[in-house]
Amino acid sequence: MIAGAWICLLAPLAGSLAITFAGQRISRRMAGWISTLTTFIAFGGALVAFFGLWATDPSDREQLSTAYTWLAAGDFEAGFQILVDPLSTVMMLIVSGVGGLIVWYSMGYMAGDDEERRYFAYMSLFVFAMLLLVEAGNFLLLLVGWGLVGLASYLLIGFWHKRPEAVAAAKKAFVMNAIGDATFALAAVLLIWETGTLEFFGVFEDVGSLSQTTVNLVALGLLGGAVAKSAQIPLHTWLPDAMEGPTPVSALIHAATMVTAGVYLLVRASPIFEAAPDIQHLAAILGAVTLLVAGLIALVQWDIKRVIAYSTMSQIGYMFMAAGIGAYGYAIFHLMTHAFFKALLFMSAGVVIHHLNGEQDMRRMGGLKGVLPRTHVAFLVGTLALVGIPPFAGFWSKDGILASALATGGSLGWTLYVAGLVGALLTGAYAFRLYYTVFRGQATEVEASRAHASHGEGPLSMLVPVGILTVLSTIGGLVVIPGVWHPLTEWIGETAEALVEPTAGQDYLTSAIAVALGLIGLYLARRAVFAGRQLVTNPGAWRVFEHKLYFDELYDALFYRPAAALSVALRREIEEPVIERSMNEIGSGTIQVGGEVARVQSGLLRTYTVAIAFAVCVLVVVFVAVR
Amino acid sequence: MSGPGIGWYLIVAAILFGVGALGVMMRRSPLIVLLSLEIMLNAGNLTLIAFARQLGDLDGQIFALAVMAVAAAEVAIGLGLIVAMARRRLVLDVDQASALRG
Repeated sequence: MIAGAWICLLAPLAGSLAITFAGQRISRRMAGWISTLTTFIAFGGALVAFFGLWATDPSDREQLSTAYTWLAAGDFEAGFQILVDPLSTVMMLIVSGVGGLIVWYSMGYMAGDDEERRYFAYMSLFVFAMLLLVEAGNFLLLLVGWGLVGLASYLLIGFWHKRPEAVAAAKKAFVMNAIGDATFALAAVLLIWETGTLEFFGVFEDVGSLSQTTVNLVALGLLGGAVAKSAQIPLHTWLPDAMEGPTPVSALIHAATMVTAGVYLLVRASPIFEAAPDIQHLAAILGAVTLLVAGLIALVQWDIKRVIAYSTMSQIGYMFMAAGIGAYGYAIFHLMTHAFFKALLFMSAGVVIHHLNGEQDMRRMGGLKGVLPRTHVAFLVGTLALVGIPPFAGFWSKDGILASALATGGSLGWTLYVAGLVGALLTGAYAFRLYYTVFRGQATEVEASRAHASHGEGPLSMLVPVGILTVLSTIGGLVVIPGVWHPLTEWIGETAEALVEPTAGQDYLTSAIAVALGLIGLYLARRAVFAGRQLVTNPGAWRVFEHKLYFDELYDALFYRPAAALSVALRREIEEPVIERSMNEIGSGTIQVGGEVARVQSGLLRTYTVAIAFAVCVLVVVFVAVR
Repeated sequence: MSGPGIGWYLIVAAILFGVGALGVMMRRSPLIVLLSLEIMLNAGNLTLIAFARQLGDLDGQIFALAVMAVAAAEVAIGLGLIVAMARRRLVLDVDQASALRG
C-alpha cells in the first residue's frame, strides 16, 4: 500500500528524467510512450494504495511514510514523507488516471511538433509535481509540490516559446501564482513560529491552542495560495490567458492538476479553516462570486478554449463554495466529476481544433456534427455533465454542493444557494451556446478551407482517451446517489468530516430546481444561436463582459503602471545622475591623478638615489624618535 | 680581546658607506657608480663581520659571504650593461639614460 503510493509518486519523475537524459537517443514517439506508461504506472500504484487502504481497518487509515529527514533546524524537522489517507488516495487516482489519459491523448495531438520530447518531459514533471502536492505529509513538502506545479505550468503554457503571447501568458500565470505561493509560505512560516512543526497532524492538534488572530492569519495565507492556484477572484486573470498553451496542457491544468490544488488544500487543511470560520466563509463567498463572474464572462467569449476555461473557473467556484461551508466530500466529488467532464470537453475541443488545423474562433465553426460524429457525442456528453443534466456526472456532484448550501441555511447558506442556482442557469446558457455554435447550424467556409479532409477525427491515441472519458463522464457520478448510497463522500469524510449533510429531500428539491434552470439556459442558448443573436444583447453589458469585467485593466492601472513609472523615475533621478556619474567621476579622477604622479618618474637615476637616501634618513629619524 | 674596539670598525664602515653613497648620487659615469655601490656593500660587510666578532657568532660572517656572492653577480650584470652600452656607442652617462621617465 505504502509502496504503491511511493511508486505513484516517483514513476512520473522517473519518466521525466528518463526523457530528459535520453535526449535525442530516443524517438519522439518513444518519449510519448515513456511519459504515458510512467503515468499509467503511477495510476497502478495509486490503485494499489487505494485498495490497500480500503482493506485496512478504518481506525488505521492515516499512514505516514517518511523516507528520510529532509530538513532539520534546531527543534524543527521536516521529513520527505508521504501521507496515505482516504483523501490523498482519491486525489492520486484522479491525478494519475485523468493525467494518464491526457498524456496519452497528447501523443496524437502533438505528433509532428518540433519539440515533442521536451513536451512530454514537462508533462511528466507536471504530473509528478501534482502527485507530490497531494501526497505530501507536511506543509513544507506540500509547498514544494505547490511551487513545482507552478513551474511546470509556466513551462507548458509557454511551450510554444516562439509566440510572444504564449510567453506573456506563461509569465502572467507564474507571477499570479507566485503571489499565492508567497502567502502560503508566510502561513507556513507563521505555523513554524507558533507550533514548531509543519506536519499535518501536529499542526491540526495545536490549532486549538493558538490565538484567533494567528489562526485567521494562517488560514488567510493558505486561502491566498489556494485562490491563486485555483484561479479564483481576485487572482484569476492568468487562467484564460493560459489557453495559449497546447490544448492537452489546458486539459491537464484544468482537469487533473493545478487548479484543483486549491480545493485540495482547503479540504486538507480543514481543521485550520474550521478554527477560523470567517476565513472559511470568505472562501465560500469568493467561490460564489467567481462562479457568477466567470459564468457571465463565458457568455460572450468567442474562443472555444476560453469559454471552457471560464467554465472551469466557475466550476472551481462551486468547489470552493462546498469547501467553504464544510461539505468536503462534495467538494472532492465535484472535483472528480469535473476532472472527467472538463478533460473530456478540452480533449474534444482539441479534436475540433486539430481537425480545423488550429482554428479556435467559434464564429468560424458550425455544423461539425456531420463531420465529427464521434467527437460530437463526446462533446455533448461533456456539456450535459457540465450543465448537470441527469444522469451525467456533473448532476450528482453539483446538486450535492447546492443542497449542502441549502442545508447550511442562514443568510450565508441562502446567498450561496441562490448564487449557485444562478450559476447553474449561466452554465446551461454558455455551455449550450458553445455546443450549438460549434456543432449545429451551417458549416462555414473557413472550415472547408482549413480542415484536412483525409484527417478523419484524429488518430486512435486521441479517440480512445476521449471515449474512456465519455464513459466516465456518463457514469462517474453514480458513486453518490442521495438517499441510496454515498461511499465517496463517506470515504472523504474519514479525512475531513463534513460540517453539513443535506437530507435526501433537500437534495431532490435542489436537483429539480437546478435541472430546470439548466434546461432554461439550454433553451435560451438554443433560441439565441439559431436566431443568430447573442446571449447578451445589451451592448454595455457585452462590452463589460468582453473585457472580463476590466480586471486586467484594473491590475494594469493599480500595479503595473505605478511600478513602471517608479522604475523610470528611479532611473532618471537616481541611476543616471548619482550612480552612473559617480562611477565616471571616479574613473576620470584616477586617470588625472595618475598623470600628475607620473611626472615624478623622471628617469634620472641620481634623483632616485637621492630620494631613496633621503627617505632612509627620514625613516631612521622616525624610528629613533619613536623609540 | 685585543685590538681596536667595535666602535672603530663601525666608524670606518660608516665612512666607507658615506663615500659610496655620495659616489652613487653624484658621479655620472656608470663605471664609477658601480664601484661606489661595491664600496657601500663592503661597508655593510665590514659591519657584519665586526658584529660577528663582537658577539662571537658566525652568522654575520656567513651573511658577509652571501653578500659577496650577490655583489659578484651584480657586478657581472652591471659590467655587462656597460659593455653593451659601449658597443652601441652610447654616451657612458647615467643622466643620458633616462628613456624610462614617465
